[in-house]
Amino acid sequence: MSSYSNYTNSPCAACKFLRRKCISDCVFAPYFPPEEPTKFANVHRIFGASNVSKILHEVAPHQREDAVNSLAYEAEARLKDPVYGCVGAISVLQRQVLRLQRELEETNADLMRYASCLGGETMSAYGGRRG
Amino acid sequence: MSPTKTIHNPIGSIERFFDLLLISLIVFMTLKGGTSGACAACKYQRRRCAADCPLAPYFPAEQPKLFQNVHRLFGVRSIVKILEKLDEAQKPEAMKSIIFQSYVRDRSPVHGCLGVTQNLQYLIWLAEEELKAVNAQLQLYRSQQNNNNNGQNQMMIHELGEKQDDVTSQLDLGMGLTVNNNQSNVTPFFSPLPVSETQQQQPQMSSYTYSCSEVNNSGCFSPPAYTDHSCKEILTDNNNTSLVWGQNRFAYNNNGFSNQNESCDEIKSSNGVMAIQSQLVNLQMVSNQQEGHDAHEYDEIHQFLEIIDERQSFADSKEAYGSSSGESLKEQMDQIGENELRNAANCFSLTSVN
Repeated sequence: MSSYSNYTNSPCAACKFLRRKCISDCVFAPYFPPEEPTKFANVHRIFGASNVSKILHEVAPHQREDAVNSLAYEAEARLKDPVYGCVGAISVLQRQVLRLQRELEETNADLMRYASCLGGETMSAYGGRRG
Repeated sequence: MSPTKTIHNPIGSIERFFDLLLISLIVFMTLKGGTSGACAACKYQRRRCAADCPLAPYFPAEQPKLFQNVHRLFGVRSIVKILEKLDEAQKPEAMKSIIFQSYVRDRSPVHGCLGVTQNLQYLIWLAEEELKAVNAQLQLYRSQQNNNNNGQNQMMIHELGEKQDDVTSQLDLGMGLTVNNNQSNVTPFFSPLPVSETQQQQPQMSSYTYSCSEVNNSGCFSPPAYTDHSCKEILTDNNNTSLVWGQNRFAYNNNGFSNQNESCDEIKSSNGVMAIQSQLVNLQMVSNQQEGHDAHEYDEIHQFLEIIDERQSFADSKEAYGSSSGESLKEQMDQIGENELRNAANCFSLTSVN
């Protein structure tokens, strides 16, 4: 309800940007407060207000905030890196996962080697003693 | 004779004319890119696909869904605007990333690529924790091997003096002896008293717990301290042996993993609503890397795309990612775990004599 009181006083960032009247059931108002004008500007530049509105209507109300945040993140990423956008970050993280998993496999192999080595030593020590 | 024939059959000539017209129209449409040869973008928008259509190379007519995804998220005007600012060499890469991003948004309308990023970060955290644990165990083995090498002769003399052939032979075989839970943890393993199986495992587990936290704190390994407190912890957690080697690091809620719990909480919170700022740190990292690597390894993203195909969902797939990513590792670790406990119990019994 705090967001409602916000946009009764002043239009939301979206309506301000689009220079239109911010109606009471404005779909953007709860997620684009007037204090964050760049959030909507970025999203509008990359995806367009119409597409964002369509996406928000397709999503359940309790998930809209997450959807807006992810869209804002993607838009900002695309503006910073027009070629790869947020997909570049995914690629880097994916490579990091692969590298870590390879490292883990190698370390596990080392561990097995040590374990078998220590087990063998123990066995040989006692076996030799018994023999 | 022939003029009379044409005069007598005016309808037939008209039919022939229409046939020719129809054939020429079909040929024209096929060659010039009519509806049948139009790219998916032009087909979707029901417009003529020109020879220099900027979207035609990226949206083949056979894959209309690709364009629909992109159109729904970006819109044609935004794509063209993005492409206009780029060099010719960068355009295919940009289009691939746009198509991928739109595909992910189609699959996960709420979280989109941010969900994928979070999942990958979770996988990284998981692998790092696993690596920490395995490294700690490895260091333990290394120190044990050093101890074995240094004190093997002395140990053998000591053992001969003690005449504990029965106990050692049973330890060699990894067999448990009769249980006596009332024994204190500092009791030597080569005491004449019967030793419990759980107590054989205790030093290994306590040292693991200790070393793990030590590695987290100082980055170096120090030998385990056998206190009553650690003993109690181990006894209470003795049933959770599989957790030590299991994948689910979130299950570490005992006192021995306070540091890991902190990082666990961080991850939990980051899995909820992740701060966008932290994502952009990664992004800057990406852009830095991209300066050096113009030819981005997009094949990996395609691999990821295939993974996505298999997984079907992003929003609720954290568990799936966690379990499936380390499925082979988990099996391996479980197999190791059984041998480890036996070997460690044997080795520790030897080192504790020293």
